[in-house]
Amino acid sequence: MRRFLRDNALTLFFLAILLLALAGQAVSGWYGYNDDQLAQAGAEISFGRYLTSSQFAVDVAENWQSEYLQFFLYIFVTVWLVQRGSPESKKPGEEGEESDREQKTGRHADAGSPHWAAAGGLRGALFARSLGLVMGAIFLVSWLAQSIAGRVAYNAEQLADYEDPVTWSGYVTSADFWNRTLQNWQSEFLAVASMAALSIYLRQRGSSQSKPVGTSDEATGVEG
Amino acid sequence: MHPYRRNTAIVTLGLTAALTCAGCDRAGDDTDVRRAALSFLEAAQRHDGAAACAALAPKARSGLESGGDECAKEIVGRGLRTGAVTGVQVWGERAQVRLAGDTVFLARFPGGWKVTAAACESRPKGPYDCQVEA
Repeated sequence: MRRFLRDNALTLFFLAILLLALAGQAVSGWYGYNDDQLAQAGAEISFGRYLTSSQFAVDVAENWQSEYLQFFLYIFVTVWLVQRGSPESKKPGEEGEESDREQKTGRHADAGSPHWAAAGGLRGALFARSLGLVMGAIFLVSWLAQSIAGRVAYNAEQLADYEDPVTWSGYVTSADFWNRTLQNWQSEFLAVASMAALSIYLRQRGSSQSKPVGTSDEATGVEG
Repeated sequence: MHPYRRNTAIVTLGLTAALTCAGCDRAGDDTDVRRAALSFLEAAQRHDGAAACAALAPKARSGLESGGDECAKEIVGRGLRTGAVTGVQVWGERAQVRLAGDTVFLARFPGGWKVTAAACESRPKGPYDCQVEA
């Protein structure tokens, strides 16, 4: 058990703080929602009902989609684009999907390679891009969830303001949908750009996301 | 299962649940909403002010009383008429009933659906113009 915890500490830590943050969001969101309900001549709802409401679902989904978009883009874009001096990047000149020998795929797979790395054809091609594809798929599903839950929440707001509800296609072309979407995207893109650039010159001793402290600013793709 | 695939499965299940819940707000509410709107309008039409006011949301009721008149007296003077229902929409805690010649807005309360606005006419832009409004 102790070994399991140590071996998986990174994932478990983030899952634990995810649950704490989600619980905090749920409680604060519930209070905020009930304040709005009273201000708009409605009635307060129970915490359980809020947890299954479209308002809570859209608030969660809009953030999730942007996080998965960030990772999807980062995984794919770092195949083709580099940042000289960044530990997050490959070295200049290494752009592209690289050879089978470098990637240990096909006949270059070794005894420790995943089974599908040695497979050719569609199976091998899919496995070779599975990280980005899964991140991209989760992004699309969460974005769709945002649009569906967002439409319900938006229409409830419309009715509270004595205005007509809108269709799904009306919602995904609305200012509300794109404002929710883009305010999340811009912060993700800023975070990635900051990490790629700041990690050229700054260090975090002992972190896998930083170069070793004494490594040159010019060194690219060197992680501690 | 590989930990990465297991995490992916958990996330996918969570998202599917979120998607389902986004739609479950509406289940079974249409009949209750229609009944609440019609009983309000029928009470007002037969000049049963007490019953009509009981069907209003508290803010809508107090809005009618702001001039010093009682809600029951005020509501029957608004010329409210029932009519054929042409559409019911329920979204979250809010609903709208369209009738021939009227549109009614409602909110969900612990005791059932209550009218927040009635005798509403749509305008080309912006909210409906309502004679009774919370």
